[in-house]
Amino acid sequence: MQISTAQLYDRSATLMQKLSQKADKLQIQVSSETRLLAPSDDVVAYQRLATLKQGKADDLATKGNVGLAQSLLQQTDSTLTSIENSLQQAAELALQAGNGTLTDSARATISTQLKGVLDDLVKLANTKDARGQPLFGAATGDTAVTIGANGAVGFTGTGTPPAIPLGDDQSIIATETAARVFGGVQTANGATDAFAIISKLAAAIDAGGNVSSAVAEATDGINASLTQVGTVRGSVGARAARLDLVADQMTDTAANREIDRSALEDTNVTETLTELQKTMTILSATQASFTKLSQLSLFDYLR
Amino acid sequence: MSDLLATGASGVRAYQSALTTVSENIANAGTAGYARRSVALKEVNAGAGISSTSRVASGMGVVVDGVVRSADAFRAADVRASSADLARSETGVAWLDRIQTALTGNKLGDRLTSFFTSAQAMAADPTASAPRSVFLEAGTSAANAFAATGKALDQVAADLDGTAENAVTTLSGLGVALAKVNDGLGRVTPGTTSAAQLLDQRDQLLEQMSAISDVSVSIDVAGRAAVRLGGATGPTLVSGSDAGTVTYVRNDAGNVSFAVHRAGEIATVVPSGGALAGIVDGAQRIEAAREQLNVIATSFVDGVNAVQAQGRDLDGNPGAPMFATGDSPTDIQLTLTDPRGIAAAAVGGGPRDNSNLQALSALRSSARFEARTTGLVADNAAALSSRQQVAEAQSAIRDGAVAARDAVSGVNLDSEAVDLMRFQQAYQASSRVIQVARETLQSILDIR
Repeated sequence: MQISTAQLYDRSATLMQKLSQKADKLQIQVSSETRLLAPSDDVVAYQRLATLKQGKADDLATKGNVGLAQSLLQQTDSTLTSIENSLQQAAELALQAGNGTLTDSARATISTQLKGVLDDLVKLANTKDARGQPLFGAATGDTAVTIGANGAVGFTGTGTPPAIPLGDDQSIIATETAARVFGGVQTANGATDAFAIISKLAAAIDAGGNVSSAVAEATDGINASLTQVGTVRGSVGARAARLDLVADQMTDTAANREIDRSALEDTNVTETLTELQKTMTILSATQASFTKLSQLSLFDYLR
Repeated sequence: MSDLLATGASGVRAYQSALTTVSENIANAGTAGYARRSVALKEVNAGAGISSTSRVASGMGVVVDGVVRSADAFRAADVRASSADLARSETGVAWLDRIQTALTGNKLGDRLTSFFTSAQAMAADPTASAPRSVFLEAGTSAANAFAATGKALDQVAADLDGTAENAVTTLSGLGVALAKVNDGLGRVTPGTTSAAQLLDQRDQLLEQMSAISDVSVSIDVAGRAAVRLGGATGPTLVSGSDAGTVTYVRNDAGNVSFAVHRAGEIATVVPSGGALAGIVDGAQRIEAAREQLNVIATSFVDGVNAVQAQGRDLDGNPGAPMFATGDSPTDIQLTLTDPRGIAAAAVGGGPRDNSNLQALSALRSSARFEARTTGLVADNAAALSSRQQVAEAQSAIRDGAVAARDAVSGVNLDSEAVDLMRFQQAYQASSRVIQVARETLQSILDIR
């Protein structure tokens, strides 16, 4: 087959252009560290990458929520510790008040101290959390507990606080309601709450006379309250442990996801550079052979 | 002996034309569309009876019978067919690539993801204003991404219209030029250089036409080409010295079509090759992408607004619509400007409630906006990737067809050099014949 002269030049130009384009693409793959430059380069990988990217963004949001939930649970736990201390103090005061040798004036001091403990408990119950919301608040209400006109402490809202979403239809309730911490204490006289128990004792001491039965009832009630706070702390601790698991799992998932992403998207530098070197070698060989071929002309020998 | 002189003179004349043709070939070695020419030489027969005294009637020399154009009609047709196929794929690839850029450039999927993840962050602290503002911002960028993606697709469609208009104008111009060439071919003497030039032009025009649309060509004895567009049964664009014009129309549904106007008649063209077929493919793809994007945008706006309406905002009021659409479904604007207006709570849930945001999360997983957006890009990318492979194969086929044609009609400088030497020697030999004839005649004249 005869090769026309124009074809010799055109073909060589096309071939060298193609090789240059290939080298350019490889060079971009190396310098951008990305193998996939457009979705059409690998459709399946593009679709999987989109899923991975979405998962990563979701996890980032979940991570923020997990962090917030962890700090809320920690605050709940430490506040519950303070509440336990106050209740212990109340229990000690009740024990002291039960001492039959005390005078009424000495008991009055104990009553004042008990009222102080009550104030402390109300303050602790109305602690604000990191979000500026009542830590022990229910679903509704601006505070957790309110002091009524008669001095009785009541729970402001009802319901359970909203759960914090953790992605994949998981969620966690990171706080407790005051009703669960203080209320629902079972005593011989039926269900009551810690505030009522302490204020009832203080009122009994203020009234004077024999307080032994009131002290006995209050001691039982305070102990029951302490048990209840302990149970709530246990529940809070269990939730914190669950969050730790979620956080660990997310770290693992992120690592796996990164491995997947890298395999799909990242440039294999060794492979790509070898390919680039190969392309460059072929290109320079093509250029050299083209130069030689184009120098060949019968006209050079016509004298 | 005067015969010898005449024979020598005829040789000189013939080889002069042969040398001219060779130098023409050399000069046009790089000219596109030039087919190699050669001179057909023929012996001049001594007519019977002229020289009745001699039994041996010798020839009367050589004469140029005509200029032969080294062209193969079948190989040229092969190049045209493969050019049309390649142009269709390459045009399709170009438009699919534009669609891909339009769909991915504004990162719609990422914007949607950050819209929903910011809702999740807001659910952790529904009363705070910062996450609410972030959510509204994410809503704005999602709305903008829809609008920008829609606009980018509209721009691609507008560019396609411009390209199609250009293509049909070019095709009509080529038709007119071909009609002129046909006209010339009807008048020129076959076998002359000017005939060869016109045939070169004809083949080149046909090749250019086939890059725009697939053409069915029939050539008459005079070399005039009659061209039908879109296959053998398509409408005639050029017949003899009469050419029609091609027009491009896009209807309201977004479908594009072409027509040939010729001799007062209008006929629809259904191109199955060339850039026009690629444009039709591209227009269909753009329209399909636009339609799918509209569906996603509409379900997004309706879904989010419905979730918003069923919830209560920070002040306990029913949620106002978050998005509004303009003329086009993707022309989305954020209408909710007050962060307090986001209905995070369910009815009666109180300000700290976040259960309506769970409804938003449920909407996300049931409507799969992001997956549908990715699917839209992936569908187009899959088509693009397969077209690219097809185009690569067709490019190789076309290269082969061009090589086969050029093997016949291309100029090779080495063989021209050989011809140059051959004709030069023949020319010199013919001159020597004249010299010999003169000397021979002279020897007779010299007899005293």
